[in-house]
Amino acid sequence: MYTLHYAPDNASLIIRLVLDGAGIPYRTHLVDRATRQQDSAAYRALNPTGLIPTLETPVGPVSETGAILLWLSDLHHLGPGPGDPERPAFLKWMFFLSNTAHSELRQIFYPHQYAPADGHHAHFEIMSTRMKRHFALLDAAARQWPKLFAPARPLGVYAIVLTRWAVLYPVNGPRWLDLADYPALEALAAAQEARVETPVVARAEGLGAHPFTRPEQPNPPEGSVL
Amino acid sequence: MILTLHHAPDFASTIVRFALEELELPHTLALVDIDGGALASPEYRRVNPVGLIPALETDQGPMFETAAILLWLVDQTGRLGPGPKDPDRGAFLSWLFFTSNALHQAALAMFYPHRPAGEANSDAARAAAQEQIVARLGLIEAMLAAQSPRWLSADHPGVLGYYIGVLVRWLILLPPAPYGIDLDDFPHLKAVLAAHEARTAAQRVAASDGLGSTPFTNPGS
Repeated sequence: MYTLHYAPDNASLIIRLVLDGAGIPYRTHLVDRATRQQDSAAYRALNPTGLIPTLETPVGPVSETGAILLWLSDLHHLGPGPGDPERPAFLKWMFFLSNTAHSELRQIFYPHQYAPADGHHAHFEIMSTRMKRHFALLDAAARQWPKLFAPARPLGVYAIVLTRWAVLYPVNGPRWLDLADYPALEALAAAQEARVETPVVARAEGLGAHPFTRPEQPNPPEGSVL
Repeated sequence: MILTLHHAPDFASTIVRFALEELELPHTLALVDIDGGALASPEYRRVNPVGLIPALETDQGPMFETAAILLWLVDQTGRLGPGPKDPDRGAFLSWLFFTSNALHQAALAMFYPHRPAGEANSDAARAAAQEQIVARLGLIEAMLAAQSPRWLSADHPGVLGYYIGVLVRWLILLPPAPYGIDLDDFPHLKAVLAAHEARTAAQRVAASDGLGSTPFTNPGS
């Protein structure tokens, strides 16, 4: 059985929705960010980067959201495998989500890591412009490969959780993303929300009634988002 | 398999070139005139809508993203990294994604410091990138010391060795003082990269791209 180390509304949410969407059994283990458990020796032994999520598997821990998705996908046939004609598209958009969309979205959330205080506004303007371009590319990809960017599937869930965070964060900044500008992603958000596992996960992590089409600030029953 | 690599010497496409040569896969190079704006052309955007190199045209359509191409080559050939059924696959994927979204991204922030917050904040961006780069190479070094994985080893060539090798090359060569790295601070990694750069296939790429005979461990020579 897998163990998913998670914190509410963290990137572990992506893994959780894919596991539940495929009916794959797993246990959850809360990483309490309020006490910085992600920096504990026990967690760092599983994942030396201290990032969430980590998936413990019978062959050892797997970390990095994209790596976990790809590993699960190849084992449980959640996406095109090696040799499939859609494999190139699957891989290139998985890495684009990981190293460009996800990684630059994190930069918007944590401006102090990238610029001094008087540079935060410039940082926000530059990064939000770049992110809108990334979402436009993902919207076009979702139109071109609807089977890959499907609800409950690795690329679909990854993309739609990123749009949720883009709508919500940074908490104290201006709202910068309107999902209606990206019709394929907007349809994907509605389709993901209509799936049976979504309200179950949303309740467990305090994500509200419309976590993707009308996101609101999370209010988790246990654990801490930050 | 007909392969065309869109390439400019000593850009990220060089990483893919090392893998193609190591695998002895016949391929055509399409040289990209980056300074002439070729990446913005409609023809190129049809191959890679993101507008970056590398792109690899395959008989299954065009691919982009360095790490995606490397992984696709591993899975097509069963070489240079663990396949989907190998018990090492999960760890290999974890560190391939880490190299792509953490180490490579921090390196880009060092080389293009105006990107995060404009020219006025370039110094702060470089300082932040330097800290991340050293920490992230430190995680790779500690992992190598503790685990000696077959997929990043001096005894077996692998795509991750070539990927990290080219990033390290740039991190030694490009950052202005006082930034940059000393590879002697990462001895296990240095041994892995020294073994990779000494391989016949690597020497072919180094000669063709003009990278010198020790492109990873002593790139300035």
